[in-house]
Amino acid sequence: MEEAAPVEPSELQPVQIRDSVISANHLTKKFGDEIAVQDVSFDVPRASIFGFIGPSGSGKTTTVRLLTGVYTPTDGQATVLDCSPAKFSQSDRSRLGYMPQLFVLYPNLTVWENLNFAASLYGMSVFRGKRLKEILTFVELDEHRSKLARNISGGMLRRLSLAATLVHDPELLFLDEPTAGIDPVLRRKFWDHFRELKNQGRTIFITTQYVSEADNCDLVGVQNKGKLLLVDTPQGIRHHAYGGDMVDFRTTEPFDFQAEAQLRSLSFVRAKTVRTGPNSMRIIVDQAGTATPELMGWAQQQNIQVQAVEEYMPSFEDVFVELVRPEVSHA
Amino acid sequence: MRNFFRGIIRASSFFRKEIFEILRQPRLVATLVVGPFLILFIFGIGYRAQGRTLRMLFVTQPDSPIAAQDIQQYAETLGAQFIYAGVTGNQTEALDQLQRGQVDLVMVEPGEITSTLQNNQQAVLTLYHHEIDPVQVSYITYLGWLFAGQVNQQVLRSFVAQGQTDAVDVHTSLQAAHQNVSALRLAVQSGDEVLAKQKQQGLAGNVDAVSTAVGASLLLLDSVQHTQGANGINTDPVKSTLADLRQNTNQLSDTPGSSNEQLARLDKIDQDLTDLDGKLAQFQSIDPSIIVSPFRSETKSVANIQPSISDFFAPAVLALLLQHLAVTFAALSIVRERNVGTMELFRVSPLSAMEALFGKFISYMLFGGVIAAILSALLVFALHMPMLGNWWNFTLVIAAVLFTSLGIGFVISIVSQTDSQAVQYSMIVLLASVFFSGFIMSLDMLWEPVRVISWLLPTTYGTLLLRDIALRGADPNWALLGGLIAIGLVLMLISWRLMRRLIASSQ
Repeated sequence: MEEAAPVEPSELQPVQIRDSVISANHLTKKFGDEIAVQDVSFDVPRASIFGFIGPSGSGKTTTVRLLTGVYTPTDGQATVLDCSPAKFSQSDRSRLGYMPQLFVLYPNLTVWENLNFAASLYGMSVFRGKRLKEILTFVELDEHRSKLARNISGGMLRRLSLAATLVHDPELLFLDEPTAGIDPVLRRKFWDHFRELKNQGRTIFITTQYVSEADNCDLVGVQNKGKLLLVDTPQGIRHHAYGGDMVDFRTTEPFDFQAEAQLRSLSFVRAKTVRTGPNSMRIIVDQAGTATPELMGWAQQQNIQVQAVEEYMPSFEDVFVELVRPEVSHA
Repeated sequence: MRNFFRGIIRASSFFRKEIFEILRQPRLVATLVVGPFLILFIFGIGYRAQGRTLRMLFVTQPDSPIAAQDIQQYAETLGAQFIYAGVTGNQTEALDQLQRGQVDLVMVEPGEITSTLQNNQQAVLTLYHHEIDPVQVSYITYLGWLFAGQVNQQVLRSFVAQGQTDAVDVHTSLQAAHQNVSALRLAVQSGDEVLAKQKQQGLAGNVDAVSTAVGASLLLLDSVQHTQGANGINTDPVKSTLADLRQNTNQLSDTPGSSNEQLARLDKIDQDLTDLDGKLAQFQSIDPSIIVSPFRSETKSVANIQPSISDFFAPAVLALLLQHLAVTFAALSIVRERNVGTMELFRVSPLSAMEALFGKFISYMLFGGVIAAILSALLVFALHMPMLGNWWNFTLVIAAVLFTSLGIGFVISIVSQTDSQAVQYSMIVLLASVFFSGFIMSLDMLWEPVRVISWLLPTTYGTLLLRDIALRGADPNWALLGGLIAIGLVLMLISWRLMRRLIASSQ
């Protein structure tokens, strides 16, 4: 039985993606002696949601700025829409949508005027009223169109920012913590919007501090202290964090130490297996799908009455803690 | 072409945004219009074109020949800027009153005036004050000089008046001389040598008396005529006439000659006496004040109008306000967008530096133009500022002032890190404009190297050009206007380069 080893960035193998919209290759950004982003590599496939997850100060926003051309990398390179961000043309920029972390539009303008301003920034035709109305309807702000931005709630401001990002119908969206500071109901609506946009063929690069939101993504990059710990699917991330899938094993009667030792010695059971009660264990296995019948078979051989064997899905908070724990202990 | 139109659309986003943002602040707009108008209005009705009045206390010496009552009468003739505050013999007490602010000036009479003058020295009237303001000190020094001049004139007036009184005696001597000449002529014609000798001696005595008495009075008149360069030929008539008179009288006794020669001399003497009598009568008829102060000045302007003080300042206020408005609005516009993060949005968007600057520039030009139009209308139609020149020229100058001021504002906005820094820079530009643009004092009063600052400020150009157009009815000085626009173009170029670095390039 082996514990999952700490993941070193150099050991990470970028997920191989054929049609990538974003490709980061050993991106590094330093501000003086401070390293904000270190040796980050990943690819984002077209028409997907790529979640960039990490705590505050982990380098998420810096990475977004590197990818949008706001910053120039100290080392490494990025390709976005087949172009280096530092060399974006006006046409390339028209294909991007960027939602900064904070509301950066104008409090003294109405919702409509702010959106109109954003549309003008992208050179949208003067006959854009219909599109503006559509997008306001999409973010459920149409009935608030005449309100000054300073007079609407924080959630509405986030929706207005999202509308301003989407108004010119970009094919690649960079959303920097779009759900920060908003209530769970609105957060869910946002994710519904994002999935809808993805279904329309858009690619979304989204950063968030809420690790639980990783479940909504197609691919997740976990960032901590400037380093990219892992890029994988949500399921893959879980698997990696614990060294395998998790299966809850419950019996009708308590089982003894000898039975537990036998169970731990099974070839597909991993070391992180823990006893969770007198008649229950959380078992780490290679693959939950194949391990479940094998566990049932083993219990039958041992005359143990099984109450339930089911895959356990740990929360991403737990997954994230598990992933960064080696980093913390190393520090 | 498509990109061009998209660029226009992007620039227009700023145009609309800036205008809407300004219109959402009606108090600001009202303040910008009503504030300067009210200031000029109150200044116009509150300004009094006269110097400060000063309470003056006189200190006399123990042996002063002047009575306190005479001093009061005398002080009251000195002008409205002096208020007579009394006479005291105690200089220490007077200076204490000055220290306590009970009086503004203390005038100390000099002691032993006669002996000072006899020693060929001027007697000093000492004027004490308690001012620290250099302008007030200059004013008081000027008043002191004026006061001493008044005193000197008063003394001279007394002297001339005395001379005119004494001239009655001269007139009597001249009459006696005339009578002696007539008698002498009869004696010469009749061949009565004894009588002729007697009348000749009488005439010589009369001429001596006239020569002595006339010196103090007619020579004064002669000096006035000399100063004027009377007729440009005979610059010393009285002295010359007296010399002729004395010479002819002496020759009557020393080298009498024939009867005809004597009669000819008597005719000449009679003529000189008549001349002197005429001059004496003229001297007596002139007011002593005219003789003492024969000249006064009168100023006449060849300008079309003589504007009031508020009219004179109105174009300068307009130029200064428009500059401040444009500098402040432009200074805050970009720095704010950088601080709240909007600049990051611009960097990711296809917006170019030129489009952003152009949109902002057009909106502020329009806004500044509207404010300028309202203010100009108020100045001309409500405060009745004269407008002698061409409105198109006036508009052109205002546009140039706004253009260059916006250039300053944009540069400030791009180099500033915070709002407060931008406001500070704007205030420094305002302060520099108040001191160096000719707003308060004429540019001629500044040391020439310092005037370089003046010629970097749009208010300097605006003030000169708007005054020329509105108050003189002149065409603008095209060199000045060209200079102003050239500065604006340079500033816009700098702004564009800085903005391009800010928007387009990454860190």
